[in-house]
Amino acid sequence: MEKRVIILGGGPNRIGQGIEFDYCCVHASFALKEDGYESIMVNCNPETVSTDYDTSTRLYFEPITFEDVMNIIEKEKPIGVILQFGGQTPLKLALPLKNEGVKILGTDPVAIDIAEDRKKFSKLLEKLNLNQPPNGTAFTYEEAKKIANELGYPVLVRPSYVLGGRAMEIVYDEESLKEYIEKAVEVSPEHPILIDKFLEDAIEVDVDAICDGQICVIGGVMEHIEEAGIHSGDSAMVLPPYSLKKEIVEEIKESTKKIALSLNIIGLINIQYAIKNDKVYVLEVNPRASRTIPFVSKAIGIPLAKLATKIMLGKNLKELNFTEEIELNYFAVKESVFPFNRFGNVDAVLGPEMKSTGEVMGIDKSFEIAYAKSQLAAGQNLPIRGNVFISVKDKDKPHIISIAKELEILGFKILASAGTGKVLSEAGVNVKIIPKIYEGRPNILDYIINDEISLIINTPSGKKPKKDIVSIRTIAVQRNIPLITTIPGAKATLYAIKKLKESQLNVIDIKEYYKMRKDGGNN
Amino acid sequence: MPKRTDIKRILLIGSGPIIIGQACEFDYSGSQACKALKEEGYEVILVNSNPATIMTDPDMADKIYIEPLIAEIVAKIIEKERPDALLPTLGGQTALNITTQLYEMGILDKFKVKLIGANYYAIKKAEDRELFKKSMEKIGLKVPKSGIAHNLKEAEEVAKKIGFPVIIRPAYTLGGTGSSIAYNIEEFREYAEVGLKASLISEILIEQSLYGWKEYELEVMRDLKDNVVIICSIENFDPMGVHTGDSITVAPVQTLTDKEYQNMRDAAIKIIREIGVETGGSNIQFAVNPENGEMVVIEMNPRVSRSSALASKATGFPIAKIATKLAIGYTLDEIPNDITKKTPACFEPTIDYCVVKIPKFNFEKFPGSLPYLSTSMKSVGEVMAIGRTFKEALQKALRSLEENFFGLEDINLKMELEDGLRIPNPYRVFYIKKAIKEGKTIDEIYNLCKIDKWFLSNIKEIVDFEKEIEKFKNREIDYETMKKAKELGFSDRQIGKIVGKSEIEIRNLRKRYGIEVDYKCVDTCAAEFIAYTPYYYSTYEHPEVIKLE
Repeated sequence: MEKRVIILGGGPNRIGQGIEFDYCCVHASFALKEDGYESIMVNCNPETVSTDYDTSTRLYFEPITFEDVMNIIEKEKPIGVILQFGGQTPLKLALPLKNEGVKILGTDPVAIDIAEDRKKFSKLLEKLNLNQPPNGTAFTYEEAKKIANELGYPVLVRPSYVLGGRAMEIVYDEESLKEYIEKAVEVSPEHPILIDKFLEDAIEVDVDAICDGQICVIGGVMEHIEEAGIHSGDSAMVLPPYSLKKEIVEEIKESTKKIALSLNIIGLINIQYAIKNDKVYVLEVNPRASRTIPFVSKAIGIPLAKLATKIMLGKNLKELNFTEEIELNYFAVKESVFPFNRFGNVDAVLGPEMKSTGEVMGIDKSFEIAYAKSQLAAGQNLPIRGNVFISVKDKDKPHIISIAKELEILGFKILASAGTGKVLSEAGVNVKIIPKIYEGRPNILDYIINDEISLIINTPSGKKPKKDIVSIRTIAVQRNIPLITTIPGAKATLYAIKKLKESQLNVIDIKEYYKMRKDGGNN
Repeated sequence: MPKRTDIKRILLIGSGPIIIGQACEFDYSGSQACKALKEEGYEVILVNSNPATIMTDPDMADKIYIEPLIAEIVAKIIEKERPDALLPTLGGQTALNITTQLYEMGILDKFKVKLIGANYYAIKKAEDRELFKKSMEKIGLKVPKSGIAHNLKEAEEVAKKIGFPVIIRPAYTLGGTGSSIAYNIEEFREYAEVGLKASLISEILIEQSLYGWKEYELEVMRDLKDNVVIICSIENFDPMGVHTGDSITVAPVQTLTDKEYQNMRDAAIKIIREIGVETGGSNIQFAVNPENGEMVVIEMNPRVSRSSALASKATGFPIAKIATKLAIGYTLDEIPNDITKKTPACFEPTIDYCVVKIPKFNFEKFPGSLPYLSTSMKSVGEVMAIGRTFKEALQKALRSLEENFFGLEDINLKMELEDGLRIPNPYRVFYIKKAIKEGKTIDEIYNLCKIDKWFLSNIKEIVDFEKEIEKFKNREIDYETMKKAKELGFSDRQIGKIVGKSEIEIRNLRKRYGIEVDYKCVDTCAAEFIAYTPYYYSTYEHPEVIKLE
């Protein structure tokens, strides 16, 4: 009889846990079959490739709950269960299954516990001499207030008992903190809230790596386009980094290897970092397949989830001939797509809670074109001429000047709200000030409805946005006008538009890119 | 008929990013298509912008373009790769729209690219509301009263002619974007404007609302020899007015009389022939008036759809793969069924179990949005469960949702009971439970929600049995009750909650009683032939076997 391995799938798609995890499960199944194992898939999502009849040796169309999974384990008697590929769904079963004596393949569930337990996690980072944003845990409102004051606003607050950025918020002052605790979450001895110093304007980075316990190889370092504070599942990312210093990228890679080896990772690991004033902070460690594994795998041409499966079954990276990181001489940009147009009057703004349903990739030899492609693929029709409406929060006003100037040079006409317009005009930009909604007619809404606006740059203020700011963004989404809500996003868009004006978009088979790699696609 | 030898290179268009209304079912169908084409020795050129797909893996196609899915870009790929044919029916509405644009831009003609799977006119006839209506009338089928408008003024005239409430559907959109119901002229003006904007060609259809009618779907396939098979019948739990993607659905249909079902089958066969989808799968939606059985045709998708994925998984019949093989010239009688290896694809699948699909929602992520369901799809995912009965499958599906209930439990409900029954919402099945517990009759509940009484009675059986289980509060549940509870789909955890025991305690007791799960095979043929690529579902139904001496 062949040896059997059970793979637990990701269950229903939802925001935060989508096709990326199914992709990883399917790769696990392929890897098992390649190496002569019987692969047993458990999943209940009919939309997926993992529940196709010929993906695995056997398929159980069942709920992913303790009872249903245990029943299958008793019947199949597998040599082990893989649960680091299906997102949070199977991970929740790690300890209950382990307690029943089920062998969990790959990284020990203890590592998951260390990564998720705040105290143990801090201790680990301290031991490895790595930084983490100053933080604390509050059991009462009074405590929360005290911790926030000590750390200094803004702070990132979230309940300790939820995952995936649910109910996570950036709080800018005491009043908002009070409101958050009163309205959004319960705080009690059973349900503490976690408070982190929020690193404003930091650059965030995601790293995916693979480790066999002996060596750790970096899959990819992805620099986020949007600044810190936007959920990594919603942020655009570029692989390799386009603006970070070489030393910083090296430091990030070294830190990743240190963490992976000290947690004794057998399989995949994802780590999120923030960089502020050239200092690297560790934000989060996920000892499992992350949402970005398919993106990285496609960008570098290496099936990371497949390799990870083989490692879980006892092979090492040397045997698998993957001991060196792949260096790219092209850029891959991941952009997210959002369902705002489905939900009527909701504000189309990004934050620490994930809202995107899916992703696209733009790939090219130049970063600007790769970014432009990612925008087109995500449905943002970048204009190369027309009117740009700009309205940004005070903090962003100094940064918008150079962007507006360049847009003007590119032939765009600049329209702005009064506040932003004043700053731009003083800086020498030829700007037409138009009223916001409720400030007279014709206002921005009239311009939008008359199709006279081809791009909107509108950054939300940290505090609760004013009513009409919501409307501008909401209308933009309803009317499918390209909308940019962050300064780094505006910069990247500017570069992309510039490049689009001077060159054509070329289409290239992804396999041609792999041949362009520095290793000639031989890995 | 042998496969086509006049084509060698085939372009396949994927569906792009996961959005509401177009999710990973098109990775599933696209991957099957790639495999089927390669198996037959064709060169496959693939374009999809979504990197998180299996279909864009290096060995799935000969050439893989991860590029934006817009007509201009796909035109560049055509110019560079010079495919002989384009297969547009496996990448959802996105692929179909791009194909229509490429045709109209003259790109397909210019580079001599043949359309396979569906031709331009069939796509037009199915997608263009006015043409579709005319086609249906031609073959003697009814469609809802409707009219087309290109601006607000036209729209108002049509609405007045039909009478309120009316449904507004923009032409050429997916997942019902911009589609809505208006009950008065003010609402109508607002929604009509949004709809006109959402449509690619600024056109909306205004339709008679079939509120309270039952909704059905048939998955149909046709080949070049004009064979037609019905793969699966699906019934919506919610009546008309809720997007199919947002409704609980059940396969096979449960509440039609045989005569009604045969009528629907005949209609489906006529429709696919009239629209002229020569090869491949289509999805046809019907509404039936519960008062008198009157049937109207709602719409047709001349391509593999979300429901095709569900129908494939529900029956074991690989619709996307077969659709691909039909597109390259095979006929249904020539394609073997992978699962039985014995029967050809022209054997209609037989189901001897019940399948329930429940959508998953994420309203909490969008503060300010109301968790009400309508004709514009809002769900972000779905689960499917298989059981011997609707009751077992329903409870399994509910616990698959991962929402902290492990079956039809008592949950915190926010709306007033009557509103929760009347207004379609994600938790309506729990409001039905509550109403039954509070002593409302099936008729009273029906009058509020218009969900077929057969479904309501089944839910009542579950709720009534919960009372039987409750009698064992704080004492050991007996064998008979445990056995019956498991047959009705109650989970160990759910039973434990009712009687005040832990999941493990119930599990251990159940094992002591020797009540063990059984696995049955999804084999497309109700066990008539041996299945070779088995997939399984669990059940606690253990039929009494009569042994003959």
